[in-house]
Amino acid sequence: MDADARGFRVALVADEFVNPPPGGLDVLAVLAGEDWGAIQLPPEWYPDDVAGPLLDQVAEHVEEFVRHDYDVVRVGDRAGLAQALRALGVAAPVAITPVTDDELRAFLATHASVRPSRPV
Amino acid sequence: MRVPYATACEVRTGILERVAKVAFVAHCLLNQNARTAGGARCPGVYSPLVDELHARGWELAQMPCPELTFTGLNRFWAVREQYDTSAFRRHCRRIAEGVAGAVAAHLERGDEVVLVGVDGSPSMGIRVTSSDPLRGGRPQWPDEATDLVPGRGILVEELLAALDARGAPAPRATGVTYVLPEHDPETERAAFASFLEAR
Repeated sequence: MDADARGFRVALVADEFVNPPPGGLDVLAVLAGEDWGAIQLPPEWYPDDVAGPLLDQVAEHVEEFVRHDYDVVRVGDRAGLAQALRALGVAAPVAITPVTDDELRAFLATHASVRPSRPV
Repeated sequence: MRVPYATACEVRTGILERVAKVAFVAHCLLNQNARTAGGARCPGVYSPLVDELHARGWELAQMPCPELTFTGLNRFWAVREQYDTSAFRRHCRRIAEGVAGAVAAHLERGDEVVLVGVDGSPSMGIRVTSSDPLRGGRPQWPDEATDLVPGRGILVEELLAALDARGAPAPRATGVTYVLPEHDPETERAAFASFLEAR
């Protein structure tokens, strides 16, 4: 097996933080620097019939990561996410709506488990 | 009432002056934790190409990972033939319908849309996928075995079919190359930049 570099840490990220306006907080850059992956939440402007199936998919991804004890947090929010998670019996992840890079880094550090290397 | 794609594009560019550029990217571009064991190239966000997208003004839209939600995090490495079952096709069609709805929503706004897959992937390949009709049983094979063949991954096939069924045009598409043996980060980044700038 090849070396695997995964961080075992996943953040659900609101679209406005994945695609920030000019000068906005670049959450992906912070996540990359802190060794977290991202699952993007659908933009708020998507109609319900477009966002719904995508949120169902997000919930299925989260369920699998939670099942394997990955760290999962939420950055920002998206209407309908809580219902999609609840439908699969998944608890809502701890969350932040950050204003600064440092605030986000501190939050991620607080919720990053220290774990020995282990199988995926 | 939904506006035909070409008309919507003309309307929006006339009103807003700016057409958003949206890249629908493979899930693992933002989350390497979704990759098969042994396949994660970095802890989480695959920054080189994400940075390239943002630097060139592209918005990101992350697609689901069909393998993660079908066979889970502990799945074995697999080739197309192992995934190409009616059950996995059905799973991919469900995902593809959701993604096609999002692509259509952007096209209706007049946005430019491209597709970024993962070359070499049985699900997300754009130009290269993996194939070995004999693979099965105990999951071990020689390191030198090559299963890379020209072709698309199964989710990509289903997504293009879903877009076609909606009458939406197939987006320009490319694949990241970190799965391929000849992968070179600088070459990949330069080719990706050229793709993003092309019309």
